[in-house]
Amino acid sequence: MSRLGPAVASAFHVAAGELGMCSAAWLFVREVAAEGGEPLVSELRDLLGRAYPVLDAVAGRWLEGSREPKVGPDSVLAACEGASRLLVVGIEAMFLDALLPKLGQTRATLLAHSSFPVDWERVVANHERRLETVELSSLHRLAGRRSALLTFLYGTRGESTWVDPAWLRVMGADVRTQFRSIVGWDVLGSVMYLYPRWLSEAPASDFSHLVRA
Amino acid sequence: MAQPPPPRRHLPSSAIASFIDRERIDKLLARWVPEAADRAFVLRCVLDEGPAHHRGANFVLLSLLGQLLDAAKASPESQGPSVPVPMRLPPHIDVGEDGFYPLSFPRKVLERLAPAGSAAQEAMIDCLTDGPPQHSLANAAMLCLISALLERSGGGAP
Repeated sequence: MSRLGPAVASAFHVAAGELGMCSAAWLFVREVAAEGGEPLVSELRDLLGRAYPVLDAVAGRWLEGSREPKVGPDSVLAACEGASRLLVVGIEAMFLDALLPKLGQTRATLLAHSSFPVDWERVVANHERRLETVELSSLHRLAGRRSALLTFLYGTRGESTWVDPAWLRVMGADVRTQFRSIVGWDVLGSVMYLYPRWLSEAPASDFSHLVRA
Repeated sequence: MAQPPPPRRHLPSSAIASFIDRERIDKLLARWVPEAADRAFVLRCVLDEGPAHHRGANFVLLSLLGQLLDAAKASPESQGPSVPVPMRLPPHIDVGEDGFYPLSFPRKVLERLAPAGSAAQEAMIDCLTDGPPQHSLANAAMLCLISALLERSGGGAP
């Protein structure tokens, strides 16, 4: 009998919404590995991988020997240099935890738009006043010559990359020319083996800066 | 049903992309936009956005004006008020000076066509700075170059 309880799917769903799919995947894989080692990680992968392909990819990385994601934000900071505002599309808590304390005077704002149910107040509270939110309808108030736009990528292959669908709502011809830097941060570092449920394909040419994990 | 006639000329967009030399325009604009990140933003708007024919046309016109500038040994004017190029933000959004691109053009050059402060000059500014940035920023860049050339030539000064 599996040691993974029936609630693990709904728990992962909530975590994926409020931490981000990649961050939640690393958290769950680590915890499951601590409890039952590689066999239980394999079981988690079989149980939830099809529904959450980012979790599948992270579990695969774990089983190949990788123990933590590369979250170094230096290349992102370089891409945002000189920006006074940073609009973040999509959530990845582990990566934001690494980035936000190093932003200095740059004000970071998170787009409050997700395919998952999200308690935005709780998300923002996790980041100790380093983050605020903006609705999709008001994102232009973050635009400007000293503004940068950041989203998380879940693998890149050639001219294609995979993003939170919110990115497609944001990345119009108008917004492209109203932000100085458009940064894609590849947090997965590999292409998903399974159909990228929850994500959308976007051209790599959307980005003025591509930062690979 | 009859097929529509084929286009008279097929020009793949790669043919346009292949002649655009970003470094050339980057070097040219450094005289007006000294900060590299600002210049990268302007370049992206002028050479990477909008229909391919605009990108190509912007490159050709700016390059040739740059050649004229070099031949005339002209340099940018250092004084006088300048006209900023606004972003096309929704009208209810005001982000202050951040709502303008990091390239402006000298107002003085328009005085050759209409007096300062006149309705005609204001209308000219509106025409030059309105529209998507592949138009408005390219207009501003060309006016910077034209202004420097006219200053250098001294001809027809207002």
